This record gives sequence, structure tokens and C-alpha cells, in this order.
Amino acid sequence: MAANLSHTAAMILQVIHCGCIYGYSVMEATGLPSGTVYPALRRLEQEGLIRSHWERQSVADAGQRPPRKYYKLTASGKETLEASRKRYPLLAGLAESMEKEKA
Amino acid sequence: MTAQRLYSAILSTAGLLVPSCSRAGWSAEWLSELWYVSADGNWWRTIHFCAGAFADALWMRRNRPPGEGDCANVVRTPARCLLLLATTAGLALLFFLRPYGPAAPLFAGGGQRFAPVLSHLVPFGIGLLLALALTPLSIGDIPAGRSSPAHARRFRRWIFLCLKFVLVGMLIFCGTFDLAPLLSASHLQPHAALVGYILGFRWVWNDQRRRCPVCLRILTKSASIGELSHNFLEWCGTELFCPAGHGLMHIPQVAGSHTAHRWVDLDRSWKVLFS
Repeated sequence: MAANLSHTAAMILQVIHCGCIYGYSVMEATGLPSGTVYPALRRLEQEGLIRSHWERQSVADAGQRPPRKYYKLTASGKETLEASRKRYPLLAGLAESMEKEKA
Repeated sequence: MTAQRLYSAILSTAGLLVPSCSRAGWSAEWLSELWYVSADGNWWRTIHFCAGAFADALWMRRNRPPGEGDCANVVRTPARCLLLLATTAGLALLFFLRPYGPAAPLFAGGGQRFAPVLSHLVPFGIGLLLALALTPLSIGDIPAGRSSPAHARRFRRWIFLCLKFVLVGMLIFCGTFDLAPLLSASHLQPHAALVGYILGFRWVWNDQRRRCPVCLRILTKSASIGELSHNFLEWCGTELFCPAGHGLMHIPQVAGSHTAHRWVDLDRSWKVLFS
């Protein structure tokens, strides 16, 4: 699987792993357009590397906002991400910069 | 129009590309994300975000689960297929015959009155030949069965096929004349007609092949049988069932002179499975 993973898909897996768990935050973290991010998220979900779930309506209502669809890495996604880090060494740099931003 | 309405209109337009079975979930996700993106107040960024919905919608359409094709559902029964084609072709014909429209020279008289029709004969002929050359013509090995006499069955299938050819031909003929002036591309009209005839006639033939020869409904419940690597040991291909239980179609994975589509009639004892 990892051998077929594109750099874009690996980058999306990496940012989801770092805590960007919904589509728009993935766009902001990667700088990729929505027309790339959302189809890639669907493809990754179809391949079982990520899974999605909708936020509970009560939680969204409490924040007076619409519910969001969250994404999370699966066990297979984590393994694939590990393999992709070896293939794309710059991914580690992306993870570090995101952690610095958080700090 | 407010900015929010414009964003929603873009998403709604893109949503038309999404298969209807997935459209609600798709729209919910995009509208939810839109709320967060538009909160910035940067309208250019929001428009750019909404434009991405078209790429996502196209992905959804290309990757829809098998058997959930909207088009197949719309034209599942022969009556619905003919009704849809007749309605579309009728509308195209009405628009074609409008006053001062493309059909005006036909009623004006003079030596050139049939020029628009004659100009379509060449694309029509080439389109028909190319479509037949690009499409396997074999409808399959369909023996006479218990469900209906062979000649009646064949007659009904041929009538249905001919009606589809006529309606699709009329739709493309009138449609290209109707659309060319609207798109300011009258010079491309013969080329569009040629492409339209090829695609239209290919669809007609392929649609005919995936229908039950008894009731002419689209075959469903496809099941893959065997493996290509075991081709010498066992048959491999796809089986499709008639939704009304008239029989099943064997479609070989590798087309060959000895491996045509084969129809197997199911007798009444199988009816219980389809009721």
C-alpha cells in the first residue's frame, strides 16, 4: 500500500496524525486546495487508512455551529504513514513544524 | 444575491454530479465546512473553496459503488427508458421547431431548404459506422425459452432497439442544432453531431446488451465467477440476474469467438427467490 501512496496522500495522513482532524484544517495545514483534499480523504477512507465520524449534534449545538466530520487514522493508516516517512523524509519536517506551531 | 446564497448555489450545482444515494451526506459535509470557511469573511477564498466541490463531486461520481448508477436506475425498465428518451427528444424537437430557430429554412422554401438536414447525413452515417465498428455487435446467445416464444421475444427486442435508435438520433440531431447557436459555436456543430452520434449509438447498443431479453429490464446483481488465471480450468466472467427472475446472463471475462454472452432461462421454480 505504502509503495502506491502519493506524496499528497502521505502529507494528508501526516497532518491528520498531527491533529488536523477535519477537512478544512487539513487544507490549511497542507496548503492544498479543497478539490485535492476532499477526494484524497475519500480515497484514503475507501482504502481503510482513515475513518470518519460525524460530531454529535448536541456538541455542535452547544457551540452554536454545524456538526463537523472528523477523520482519524486507522491502525493500517498508522503503519502506512510510518512506511511513507521513510519514502518521503520531508514529512518528518512537516510534523516538526506543526508541533512547533502548536507550542 | 448574497455571498452565502452564491456559495450554496455553487455547492448545489456541484452536488448534481454526486450520485443521488450519496448526495445528502456529501452536501452535509460541504455545507458544514463552508460555514467555517466563510466565517473568515474572505469571499475569494470561499469561492475557491466551493470550486473544489466540483472535483470532489466528480470523484464521487467516478467511484460510486457498483450497482448504484443513477443512469441505470432511471432507465431500468424499458417504459421508463423510452419515456425519458421521448421526453428529452420531444423537448429538443420543440426547441428546434421554434420560430426563427434552426428549422426556419425548412419552412422558408427555396433550393437550400433541406441543407441543414442534408448536412447531418454525413455525420450520421459516419457516426453510425464508427459506433458499430467500436462496439461489439453480438447481443449474445439467447435461445428460445419457456418464458415467451422466440420470435415474439426477438420482435419486442428489435422494436425497443429501433425506437431507441430513432429517439437518440432525433435528440442528437435537434440538440446539436439547438445548442450550437446558444454556445456561439455554429462552426463546431457538425463535429459535435458526429461525436454525439458515435456516443449515442454506442450507448444504445451497450444498453441493449445489458437488458433481460424477456422483459427488457436492466440486469442487476452482478457476481464475478472464477479467476482469469484459471481460464483453462474453469469458466470466468460475470453473471447478471434479471430483477424479475426471468434468467441470468453469463458474460465471459475474455471475449472470444467461442465465448459470447450466454442467456440461461430460469423456470417458474426460481420465482420464489425474486418475489
